[in-house]
Amino acid sequence: MSKRLLGLILVLPALATITLLFLVPLAASIIGAFEIEGSYGLGNFDKAFALYSQDILFTVVIVSLSTAIIGLVAIAIGGYLTLGENTLAVSILRWLYRWPLFIPFIVVGQVLRTFLAKNGMMNNTLVSLGVITPLEATSFLDWRGIVIAFVWKQAPFVALLVSGAMASLDRGTIEAARNLGASRLRILVEIVVPQVATTLIVGLVLSFVTMMSVLSVPLMINAQSPTMITADIAFRLNAYRDYGVANALGLISLLITASVAWIYLKHNVRSQA
Amino acid sequence: MTPAPFLEVKKASVAYGATTVLEGIDLAIAKGEFVALLGSSGCGKTTLLRTIAGFVKPVAGTISVAGRDVTRLPPDKRGMALVFQSYALWPHMTVAQNIGYGLKLRRQPADAIARRVAEMEALLGLTGLSRRKPAQLSGGQRQRVALGRALAIDPEILLLDEPLSNLDARIRLSVRHEIRALQRRLGITAVHVTHDREEAMVMADRIVILDGGRIAQAGTPEEVYNRPVSSFVAAFMGAENCVSLAGRVTGGHFAIAAGPTNAPCTVPLAGRPLVDGPVVARFRAEAATLVPADDASAKPEGTLVLSGRVESASYPGGHWRHAVVVGPDTVLVDAPAAFAPNTAVKVCVPPQALFLFSPAGAETAKAGPSAYKSNKASELAGA
Repeated sequence: MSKRLLGLILVLPALATITLLFLVPLAASIIGAFEIEGSYGLGNFDKAFALYSQDILFTVVIVSLSTAIIGLVAIAIGGYLTLGENTLAVSILRWLYRWPLFIPFIVVGQVLRTFLAKNGMMNNTLVSLGVITPLEATSFLDWRGIVIAFVWKQAPFVALLVSGAMASLDRGTIEAARNLGASRLRILVEIVVPQVATTLIVGLVLSFVTMMSVLSVPLMINAQSPTMITADIAFRLNAYRDYGVANALGLISLLITASVAWIYLKHNVRSQA
Repeated sequence: MTPAPFLEVKKASVAYGATTVLEGIDLAIAKGEFVALLGSSGCGKTTLLRTIAGFVKPVAGTISVAGRDVTRLPPDKRGMALVFQSYALWPHMTVAQNIGYGLKLRRQPADAIARRVAEMEALLGLTGLSRRKPAQLSGGQRQRVALGRALAIDPEILLLDEPLSNLDARIRLSVRHEIRALQRRLGITAVHVTHDREEAMVMADRIVILDGGRIAQAGTPEEVYNRPVSSFVAAFMGAENCVSLAGRVTGGHFAIAAGPTNAPCTVPLAGRPLVDGPVVARFRAEAATLVPADDASAKPEGTLVLSGRVESASYPGGHWRHAVVVGPDTVLVDAPAAFAPNTAVKVCVPPQALFLFSPAGAETAKAGPSAYKSNKASELAGA
């Protein structure tokens, strides 16, 4: 009995920290989403959907598209690191691809803003190379800019996880396929990726959740409508002190990420069965 | 040797960076032959197999199949299939998909693949398991799936990289015979890597013993077992007992001089490249007999008799195994009945079971001062 008590005392600081700093604010925020001037109801959600349903859809589409592209880029990078035969190219890629991991989102937004603008570095380069004329130059500072920023920042993270999983595969499974005559692309698609699917999905779910919570990129790259939920939440709080709608939008965003996490859990349970 | 080798390795050398793993390997394998590459870990046997398979490029030398140089060809263009030590089955595919993958890559129609897969499953006793994933199979079943995957594409040469090392000892014995019988039935040429001497003896037509990246000896199981060409091969083939003797060549015989622990005797040279001076003698525990020290009965002509003292006895089954101290060495000798520890005994080794080797380089330094020195050494040892 005293041993049990001691155990309880030992975990108490951790438990208290989680309760005070995580559970209580979360509960307050969820309750706040239903609170309208002292009473409870769905009014905040009505308002949120009336004003921002387009932004909610925009957010889901942008983040899903980014996640898909991140998956492809990560598989390509991990695949080349695992199956590439040019050792110099492999070591250069290994050295280069991780750099965006160490750059904060706000800096990514800033860098891409100057790079993707109508008179930005990308268009200037294309014009000076004669690929496009100055009149054809368009700004990428819209949904495309957000997708580019997300992929640029998150693909290295997923590539890091995926290439680690690929590196720890039994090389024999790759060589056996080569021995039977499979091309490198087929080996990647049919042998390597299925074996690292769980890691890939974990990385993509984590990236999805991260992207859902980024404020700086939509604010810096896409300061127009439609924009992402995070920008709307910030706007409701800063401009109107409207905690009710902000909390409702937060809960909607939480439900979107929870559904993605549920896909992950379902996959995890199935692969362990 | 065989008239027209089917698989031929010529002067192949392999290096990883600055480390030479294989040096000047020459190996000719006839069609339908089963060859075992035998050696301890790190001897280069797996590297040789992977070089033949095409996963390792030799820095020098060639590999050819039926007279065609395949040294620069990728692994899938050599008509070979490799069975991996880890089996390397694809965990996300079923048994049928694993076996049929090579045929799928060859763009065969689905019904032809299904027929061939069913044929392989029947051949390997996997019928009824085709929808299982590798994780749901036993070790022996996985091994057979790996074999089926390799055989499904009908390769001319089957390469086996220690395919039995992950199996239970009991299953291993039966799988040895299964693989051998299958290889005979299909008439396929096989190269088998193993570190298990008995496995190599039982399975192979010819054994190639590798040591430090070179071929130490190649021959039939009977040859390498009874006529080892070096002390290393003798030890590797089970003649672990080792004593130092000295003697001189006289006509077709080698006269072993009396030493502190041995009586003089004369054994037939039988073509062995022995020279005057010290020799290393090796023999197997089961080839020698043990008699009490006061035993005065006549021994057959040429028997080496060593005097020693029993240190301990154990019963591994069928006979007693004794550790006998002979001078500075300890040898293991089998006997039908146990001798008590500290009993003075004689170890009798018949001439056909006694392997003698002159130290390396002794042949070249036969004449001159070194011969004198070695004679001197043997005199000192005899004193």
